[in-house]
Amino acid sequence: MPSQDILVIGGGPAGLEAARGIADLGYKAILVEKRDRLGGTPDEAQYAALTPDLRNAEEAMDEMIAAVANNENVEIRLDSSVTGTNGTLGDFNVIVKNGKGSEKLNVGSVILATGFQHFDPGRETQQYGYYLYDDVVTLVDAEKMLKADTFVRPSNGEVPKRVCFIQCVGSRDRQIGNEYCSKVCCGIASKQAIEIRQQVPDCRVFIFYIDMRMYGYWENEIYWPAQEKHKVNYIKGIATEVLQKGDKLLVRGEDTTLGRPMEIPMDMVILSVGMEPSRGTKELAEIFGLEKNKYGFIETIGGALDTVSTSVPGVFAAGACTGPADLEDSVAMAGSAVMKSVITVRKAKGSKQ
Amino acid sequence: MPVDKHQIIEKEKAVVEGIELSSDWNRMFEQRVIWDYDLTYMDKITELDGGESLGWCYQCAQCVPVCPVDMVGSYGPRKIYRAVQVGADLFNDDYLWQCTTCANCLRVCPKEVDMIKIMPAVREQAVLDGNVPGELQEAFENTFEYGNPMGESPRKRADWVKDAGVEVPVLSQIKKPVDLLWLVECYPAYHPRGKEASQALARILTALKADYGILGTEEKCTCDTQRLAGEIGLFEEFAEENIRLLKKYKHNQIMVTDPHALNALRNEYPSFGGKFDVIHYTTYLAPLMSRLNLKNSLDIKVTFHDPCYLGRHNGEFEAPRAMLKAIPGVELIEMGRCRENSYCCGGGGGGMWLDGFMVDHVTERLSEKRVREAVETGADVLAVCCPYEVSRFEDAVKSTGNEGKLLVKDIIELVDEAMR
Repeated sequence: MPSQDILVIGGGPAGLEAARGIADLGYKAILVEKRDRLGGTPDEAQYAALTPDLRNAEEAMDEMIAAVANNENVEIRLDSSVTGTNGTLGDFNVIVKNGKGSEKLNVGSVILATGFQHFDPGRETQQYGYYLYDDVVTLVDAEKMLKADTFVRPSNGEVPKRVCFIQCVGSRDRQIGNEYCSKVCCGIASKQAIEIRQQVPDCRVFIFYIDMRMYGYWENEIYWPAQEKHKVNYIKGIATEVLQKGDKLLVRGEDTTLGRPMEIPMDMVILSVGMEPSRGTKELAEIFGLEKNKYGFIETIGGALDTVSTSVPGVFAAGACTGPADLEDSVAMAGSAVMKSVITVRKAKGSKQ
Repeated sequence: MPVDKHQIIEKEKAVVEGIELSSDWNRMFEQRVIWDYDLTYMDKITELDGGESLGWCYQCAQCVPVCPVDMVGSYGPRKIYRAVQVGADLFNDDYLWQCTTCANCLRVCPKEVDMIKIMPAVREQAVLDGNVPGELQEAFENTFEYGNPMGESPRKRADWVKDAGVEVPVLSQIKKPVDLLWLVECYPAYHPRGKEASQALARILTALKADYGILGTEEKCTCDTQRLAGEIGLFEEFAEENIRLLKKYKHNQIMVTDPHALNALRNEYPSFGGKFDVIHYTTYLAPLMSRLNLKNSLDIKVTFHDPCYLGRHNGEFEAPRAMLKAIPGVELIEMGRCRENSYCCGGGGGGMWLDGFMVDHVTERLSEKRVREAVETGADVLAVCCPYEVSRFEDAVKSTGNEGKLLVKDIIELVDEAMR
């Protein structure tokens, strides 16, 4: 039977924004989240502050969650996964399972907001020694430390004097298979560099990069303040390897604008890991029979002017399940997906009546 | 790649564990691997008033191709940032004295890294530490002692008026308010070629029946170039003294011969309480050219060099050209680098008093490069309107073997020739 309800899968920023939008337009949203709480990756990975505005992440996500939690037009299913579907646009029958059993939901349209996962720096190439050295961490690890306001060397608990970021770990790499730029890491590294300088003012921070990709306002909102106000040092040239030297890490690379090799001792190395499709994104693409791109992200079919339509009519995708996306992209895509899914259920109703 | 011999260090004297090594034994290669980003000096500089923006460079390198010193040497603002970021002590580095403060880097810099503020701030510390090239120190001492960087007698400052052929009113003698106070400055008062231009200007002011006067022997250096070379203390002392003097005489407007004086009075003196209506002589004369009886057609091709401190620093590009175009028989040919992108004569920011020092750092003088550019245009005359330039370019004409091919003249001399 045709339905005007819309299913939103994933309770991160894109999913929360989509559910809120559907509800505000007077339609019913069913929000399915596999974890036992909403908030998505910013919550799961314990983000300290959002990029680029440095807003407290917990506070911002709580606000998004509050907008759907007490909303009579939003039904929330936590600890739940979508395991199967049949039907077509206007009339999908979706099976949702949780610990207690399964239910069949009849919905007119579906929005996937199943997000990304961070690149595992132990995969493929081990040159930075993530699993070898305690003091080599990722953006995700650093974010947790910054949130707890305990930015110390994991190896000995001491406050670091020198920290560097290595950019593009797991991104822009043909051998790894992720040829794309993960888009957010330059901004997040710079944001974390600012936070480190604020929390540990004596700590010098270096960012080794190939290109700094601080598009739009991120340039003046993060990059320039990081360099000009917080004295973060940007060095062109990615480090190639990290070696243990005494109780320090020796970061080896080339300083390309000087054309000289560099071997700089650091107390901590932060790997700016990129984005890959999450397991949920890959699984749901299979369940809904959606086309994926060569990297495993959900393919959107509308080119530059339609960033949310998938290969299956009535199924839309928003946020980082379609490829690297920042928060601004994610919520903007959620809005676009809401519009298209509401149009879908309204048209479906009209044609069936 | 072959070994870069420049990276071999051979000390005159090296002592290792008490044993003195001859230079044969102490030959070594300069360390190529960067072991550390020692930010000591970056911190020191960015904490100075005026030094902050050195830390803003993001290495886009737009400054380097337009840096007049880089074109004949290896200095470039971007490179300074990098050198300091890897630990160079700019306070004790030859690079510190190479910038002429021409402002062409600042013109193109997207981050507004301001060498015009950074250099004086760092140089001031070097000056306080007594770490100044000898010839520059001499210019500072001369200024302090005699009121002019050449060390000429203050009593002879107005001697040039004797050969002007016209009466030149001196304010202390005429004892009446004037419309125009003409601040002559040091090179136009003392340098032989500067004096000739001053005499020409006096004749033209007379022809225009201008109501003007000069300060005569009371006048002292405005010290803008000493300031940019790092002698901030000297500058401040002279600024206060000059402001007192300029306020002593009633006038409507100050006319300067020297763009560096224009810069000091317009942009620096106001913060010391000296707010004056100040104008360069070309700006003053350009609209009055039609009132002069220019009866001689010169029949020459002229190219014009924009002074950094008139053009880029103070935005006047048109007046000198308007003057040249108003002279009968002058065909103006522009050089490739002109107006906003004009080259630098090498005299600014202390360069005027660092010629000996600079020899070791450049393949040719900036003035020599500029003269070669002027010769390439096929011009008969290289016209200038900054008193640093006549002497610099005339020397360069000789040293580049272009004697007889190119004359260097102040615009005012050309006007005078057309009038006589």
